[in-house]
Amino acid sequence: MPSDSTTILTDVTTMLRSVLGEFGADTEITMATTFGDDLGMESIDVVSLAGRLQARYGSTVNFAYFVSGFDTTSMTGLTVGRLVDFIADSLRKQPAAS
Amino acid sequence: MSMVRANGLDLHTEEVAPIGAHRGTVVLIHGMTSDNMASWYLTLAHPLAQAGLRVLLYDLRGHGHSARPGTGYTLDDFVADLEALLAHWDPGGPVHLFGNSFGGTVAFAYAARHPSAVAGIVTLESAPPTPAWFDRMTRRLSTVPTLPDSRRVRAASALLAETSIGTELPASALPDPAAYAAVNCPVLCLYGGDSAVKQLAGETGRLLPRSRHVVIEGQKHTLLIDAPDQVRAEVLPWLAAPSI
Repeated sequence: MPSDSTTILTDVTTMLRSVLGEFGADTEITMATTFGDDLGMESIDVVSLAGRLQARYGSTVNFAYFVSGFDTTSMTGLTVGRLVDFIADSLRKQPAAS
Repeated sequence: MSMVRANGLDLHTEEVAPIGAHRGTVVLIHGMTSDNMASWYLTLAHPLAQAGLRVLLYDLRGHGHSARPGTGYTLDDFVADLEALLAHWDPGGPVHLFGNSFGGTVAFAYAARHPSAVAGIVTLESAPPTPAWFDRMTRRLSTVPTLPDSRRVRAASALLAETSIGTELPASALPDPAAYAAVNCPVLCLYGGDSAVKQLAGETGRLLPRSRHVVIEGQKHTLLIDAPDQVRAEVLPWLAAPSI
């Protein structure tokens, strides 16, 4: 399981495009992209992303924990970069679980 | 996204595995029209998993990513969906049911039908399926939610416009009040201090003598959106109490 941010960003970008469908097709996704303002994600989209993360990384990445710290109505502060960093940290801490 | 074929429909489900020792199973049931599983997933899923519970969530029929049939929106349909999902999930023992608003009503109705299958009930701004509560829900079904424009609100409008929920649900057959006598599990009911739903607490207490009722002051109907910290502060110690 790769834990470098570039690979994870590629994975996350693929998942986000899948969740967003046509809505996100022409939006560039970088580490600075915000879930709310930039991608127009709503809370149900965050849950859809959670399911994809679980399928990709298993229980190594505790996404329910990650999102529990944010205001999920406005999703203020939720950026792609923070998610990528969280995934990288999780994979580094539990290499045996992959 | 995990779709489960249950009761003839494709229903969207998610699961969060327990952390540490497995202490049981909880099913989180969201509310009507403008709600979906996200309100629970983003607020309680992790704390409950951390408490050792296998956390199961689903979008009610017509809501979120679940199928939206044109008809089939009586209380019995919603309870039958939960029965089918629990048969699929196979929890291996009684489960906790947490319900937000109408989701709590589904939980009470399920418990009335399967009292020995329920280990505990937590509801937010909810009541058992009584005529008084269904009168209130019927009024809510006739008004489009006054929230900022979003896909969530558009989905709620489509549910009301394109399905028979607005006529079928109010006409639902309600459980015989005597059925609640067999519901012996602990029940925690939370209310917003500025919401009218708390007026139903007395009747709920008579139907379910083991129920505990807590009012969160200064809050309206949307406790999970506006007061998730207070909800966690009530629910988690209650779950850890020896009576559970």
